[in-house]
Amino acid sequence: MKLKSTAGATAVLAAVALVAAGCAAGTPAPEPTSATGGTLTLGATFDATSWDPADAEFGNRIQYMQPVYDSLLHITPDLEIEPWLASGYEYNDDFTELTLTLRDDVVFTDGEAFDASVAKANLEHFQSGTGQNSITLGAVESIETTGDYELVLDLSAPDPALLRNLALVSGMQASPAALEGGELKTTPVGSGPYVLDSAATVNGSQYTYTRNPEYWNAAAFPFDEIVIKPLTDLTARLNALKAGEIDAALADAKSMGEAQASGLDVQTMQGDWQGVFIVDRDGTKVPALADPRVRQAINYAIDADGILAAIRLGEGQRTTQIFHPSSQAFSAGLDSAYSYDPEKAKALLAEAGYPDGFTVTMPDIAAFADIQAVAYQQLGDVGITVQAQPVAADQVISTLLSGEFPMFLFSWGSSNAWQDILKVVQPNAPWNMYHNATPELDALIATAQAEGTDEAFQAVNEYLVEQAWFAPWYVQNNVYVSSPEVAVTMQPQNVVPYIWNFAPAK
Amino acid sequence: MLLFLTRRLASGVVLIFAAATLTFLLMSLSGGNPARNILGEGATEAQVAAKAAELGLDRPVWERYGDWLAGALHGDFGRSWFTGEPVMTTIATRLPVSLSLVSVAILVTAVLAIVLGMAAAVRRGWIDRFVQIFAVIGFALPNFWVALVLVTVFAVTLRLLPATGYTPIATDPGKWAVGLVLPVIALAIGTIASTAQQVRGATIDILERDFVRTLRARGVRPSSLLFRHVLRNAAGPALTVLSLQFIGLLSGAIVIEKVFALPGLGSMAVTATTQGDLPQILAIVVVMVLLVVVVNLIIDILAGWLNPKARVA
Repeated sequence: MKLKSTAGATAVLAAVALVAAGCAAGTPAPEPTSATGGTLTLGATFDATSWDPADAEFGNRIQYMQPVYDSLLHITPDLEIEPWLASGYEYNDDFTELTLTLRDDVVFTDGEAFDASVAKANLEHFQSGTGQNSITLGAVESIETTGDYELVLDLSAPDPALLRNLALVSGMQASPAALEGGELKTTPVGSGPYVLDSAATVNGSQYTYTRNPEYWNAAAFPFDEIVIKPLTDLTARLNALKAGEIDAALADAKSMGEAQASGLDVQTMQGDWQGVFIVDRDGTKVPALADPRVRQAINYAIDADGILAAIRLGEGQRTTQIFHPSSQAFSAGLDSAYSYDPEKAKALLAEAGYPDGFTVTMPDIAAFADIQAVAYQQLGDVGITVQAQPVAADQVISTLLSGEFPMFLFSWGSSNAWQDILKVVQPNAPWNMYHNATPELDALIATAQAEGTDEAFQAVNEYLVEQAWFAPWYVQNNVYVSSPEVAVTMQPQNVVPYIWNFAPAK
Repeated sequence: MLLFLTRRLASGVVLIFAAATLTFLLMSLSGGNPARNILGEGATEAQVAAKAAELGLDRPVWERYGDWLAGALHGDFGRSWFTGEPVMTTIATRLPVSLSLVSVAILVTAVLAIVLGMAAAVRRGWIDRFVQIFAVIGFALPNFWVALVLVTVFAVTLRLLPATGYTPIATDPGKWAVGLVLPVIALAIGTIASTAQQVRGATIDILERDFVRTLRARGVRPSSLLFRHVLRNAAGPALTVLSLQFIGLLSGAIVIEKVFALPGLGSMAVTATTQGDLPQILAIVVVMVLLVVVVNLIIDILAGWLNPKARVA
């Protein structure tokens, strides 16, 4: 019996010690991280995955990669492209050859040197990898090193998004030894401004980056240390912000008031557009959708302003375009193309030969439950009867991409205009499930690709709005919350700011 | 005893095998496409097919299952489809987090439930009423709500304790303990309440037995009577409840780990399941079932040690 009471006493002691340890920490338990400007602590919405640049993603996860991997080019918060590891870049006259001149003073953190053959190896590694963005180098036909620090990318066709991609994931450079080593997925080795400190990193909990002492442009990165904590739960992110444990994180419209009341800085940046993808534009499944007037009727049928105000709390901007307001294809004048006008919708349906409307099957997706009911009802009000068919959460994307639904609600993260055309507009784009194409649109796209001018892109946009290929409602705001001790510059076309958009507040 | 142990261990192995097989089949036949989940919405069909081939998803289910089983029998559970990290490495960093949380919670539960339950049973009166009321409230409060209130008060407003995060005990035992205070309270409050009730009931029951009256009449000291005789007899039912609580806490930890951003098995399970990361899911299932088998075994042995009547041949 002695044993029992000893065990009991130990248990009591342990419990007491636990409580005492808690009380003993009378001063704030988490050290204030931002006051010195030494450490930047970010809360991330998703955990890191692979460290192989070939698997690098735009969006949330790019923040994990940017401290370790430098890219060939650089992109500013104004979307300007600047030299970076490539000190110079030049296209030939018809945009099918890109010549990159590289810096000669760059060393990877494992001591390997950076040169043209390394850049070529990295680009080929990215292109032949199975990452989600391997396709961004799809237009690159061959890569030729024309000197120790010069290489030429031969393109099968002009790629107006190439420079931007080379400034982000597609241009990230890993050490040649690491490319060969086979451990890149779990151990990053780059030439970036920081090094992942494995001793101070706990996977799934905290990623710590310390300065790369050999870095060629340290002045561009003011913090001595960057810590990224994956906090997948919004409440946990807000609590960590309010308790001073992190300096910045992504939030949402509903938490803006709470964040402001706690003395935090709140900034917004236009993000995804939400609305209807009308994809059966040849009427394969639902013949009515082949008529542009029917698709226009869908644009008139839904009270986008009402949904934006009531459900998105006004955090966004009404639009009729699929292109991001910061992109070269955007044209402000087009936003007044369709207003909420159910009578006009009915008239257009009647004109198209559907005075009694028609029936269409649309997915019932849990993630869009808040906007779905009202949209389906408003479509019903003009005579378009929606039969909602449930889709399991983990199968939404694959079901939509299979072309099962002739039209559906979606939230699309538009970015670079050419990138969006490749993903949702071109006849072979994954989100053009029925491979719709018209000679006029093909010609407009070809001009935009060859010339890359704003006018040419806006012409594509105008066609899509007029022909009502989609029924966008609004671009909603991304909400980013930060401590007043950190100055954050928002980044268009990415859900979170890039790592170089952070600085200590003055 | 040896036969009993062998039988329990054998049934544990069968259970693990069955759970893993069922998980493999359900996940493989559910129709989700992990390659698509990894690559996201912008990838083309060709990219998805290439990824699927890389993961070996283009091979028949039974073949993949055979490979997995052969690997698992050698302790190799493969690599995560998303991070490329060996699954066992991930488990090794995540298991201590969940075990810290759950075992400290169960320890606190055991101590407080015994103290409160016995005090209520012996003293009755106001302390009994207090324990009864606490038990009802503690049992009724959802633990995520308790967690949010605790964070708002102690982390955000008073800044006494961290709102999120976990420090491994090897890095800094003090920080480890500080980080666990709020999660443990949030997780344990319900189990303390229900276990205290159980202890109270069992103690009252034992106190009314004839042997207690006899012992009292023989002049055994009250403290000795209480701790050597009554507690020992009342511990049986309490232990059974605790073992069930432990298993319940493992699932309760999923929510608590999310609220406090603790990198444990619970949050790993949620992420792996929504992504369809089969190698990780299978490893989690195996580890969880193993934990349940081991805990049950320990409780059975403890119960037999405490009470000879409960011993098996």
